Amino acid sequence: MSPAADSIGGEVLLQATDVAKTFGGLKAVDNVTFALRAGIITTLVGPNGAGKTTLFNLMTGHLVPDQGEVLWLGKSILRLPHWKIARLGIGRSFQDLKLFANMTVEENVETVTERGSWLWQPGGPSARTARKEKVEATLAATGLVDKRHDRAVDLAYAERKFLSMARILAAGADIWLLDEPASGLDLSSRLRFGELLRQATARGVAVCLIEHNLDVVAELSDRIAFLDQGRVLAEGDPQTILRDPALAAIYFGDRRDAAATSEQAA
Amino acid sequence: MWAYIVNLAVLISINAILAVTLNFILGYAGIFSIAHALFFGVGAYTATFVAMKLGADFLLSTAAGMAVGALISLALALPALRVRGEYFVAASLGLQMLAITVFTEWKSVTGGIGGLTNIPPARILGFEVTKPEHFLVLSLTCLVLIILIIRALVRSSFGRSLKAIRDDETAAWAYGKNVAIIKTTAVVLSSALCAVGGSLYAFYLSFINVESFTLDTSVQLMAMVIIGGTATLFGPVVGTILILLLPAGLSYLPYLPPTEIGSIQQIAYGLAMVLLMIYRPGGLWGFQEKPKAKEGGAP
Repeated sequence: MSPAADSIGGEVLLQATDVAKTFGGLKAVDNVTFALRAGIITTLVGPNGAGKTTLFNLMTGHLVPDQGEVLWLGKSILRLPHWKIARLGIGRSFQDLKLFANMTVEENVETVTERGSWLWQPGGPSARTARKEKVEATLAATGLVDKRHDRAVDLAYAERKFLSMARILAAGADIWLLDEPASGLDLSSRLRFGELLRQATARGVAVCLIEHNLDVVAELSDRIAFLDQGRVLAEGDPQTILRDPALAAIYFGDRRDAAATSEQAA
Repeated sequence: MWAYIVNLAVLISINAILAVTLNFILGYAGIFSIAHALFFGVGAYTATFVAMKLGADFLLSTAAGMAVGALISLALALPALRVRGEYFVAASLGLQMLAITVFTEWKSVTGGIGGLTNIPPARILGFEVTKPEHFLVLSLTCLVLIILIIRALVRSSFGRSLKAIRDDETAAWAYGKNVAIIKTTAVVLSSALCAVGGSLYAFYLSFINVESFTLDTSVQLMAMVIIGGTATLFGPVVGTILILLLPAGLSYLPYLPPTEIGSIQQIAYGLAMVLLMIYRPGGLWGFQEKPKAKEGGAP
């Protein structure tokens, strides 16, 4: 299956070309080529240890690939430090959220809008007003207005998940890399979460999800890439990928069955 | 009695400056520096040097102390802050030990073990501060100014960046914070403001030597901050008052042989630390400024 021959969505915002990363003897990511397009949700599916989070780390500069290239709007970002990559508009969430635990909800959101490293923020009063408005809009969009003065560590589970989303939203990223953002959410929270993603893609944001719950995957994805043992085994529209018996066998843990099924198919 | 109280108040206000400036990096930025006494010393020696050799007044001497303190802290911060937490502790310990050697051996500037005596009284705008009461006004003014500066800093975007780095450095990087620059700036500011305490100390006692700027002082400052409450504005002041009043208070206890006060003091410190860990992990002042945790929520 050749990846990304058929394309839905807008222009390619972020592209990994032939990237590889080895930890000790383990090839965590093995010659992966993978593109994120504006306006769609691309989901990374695969068993634990398939290399999904490592791929995120390579695309955000947290890790440097052993080989290959990472392109943002066609330009290489491999040599940039990862705080600069973040400022290009590449936002990510973490599986363990990594909230600023002892800061209030409002401070968590406010601080990601403030990029200046010195004692003041550039732009003067008008930029300050714009930041304030951004914080208010973000708190409203994520349903956290009533919690604004609570510390992040004191929030309930779903609220923490939404705070993690609020940071990406407020940071103004147009590429969202979300590491299991919907895990543990109940149905109504999940619907609100889906709504947030839809609003973002409607604005042209490129969303990339790592997700294990196949209901969520089917519900949200415009496109799916299936990873196993560091390689992209298949990429395509949700129907095709989710119904592929060989992939299902790998996902549900029986590789021998998968091999047999593929052979039969061939 | 009055003179004794004024003397204690001056020493408390000077130590509070040191504790408040340490708290700025320890409490708000999560940077554990055990070289804070070094910047106290650098402030004291530089101010003394400038005052004695060049006849400068208090403001100029203090400014010189701040500048030298900032420069030396930059030398520590730039390489050390590129690595994480525990390495900074090791680097700051190394610098502190090195500084003690320099303070002891660089006799032409520091006076060696014997230190420097006959430091002239502080002169501000032509006025000589000789009476202890006047000096108290001066040191309290400095303390208040420094608390106001730190208050403004921690409430600004810079303060939020510091707290974000303290809470999760990886996430701070991932959201576009230039962590190395922000931490370096914090260390430089903290060291420069700490040097003000050193300058005050030298002019007040008119005598300084290396004894005041050892590792013990750094550790005691850390105790003041932690007992009072990290990441609070007034916690370090409360901690300073407590720790400096403890020996004074003990000496008033009846039936206590004066020779035993030292060891009893150590027991009291230890006991206070243990009780705090159990009942008030946020420090004595910790409950005042932090938003209330939820019922049953872990602190």
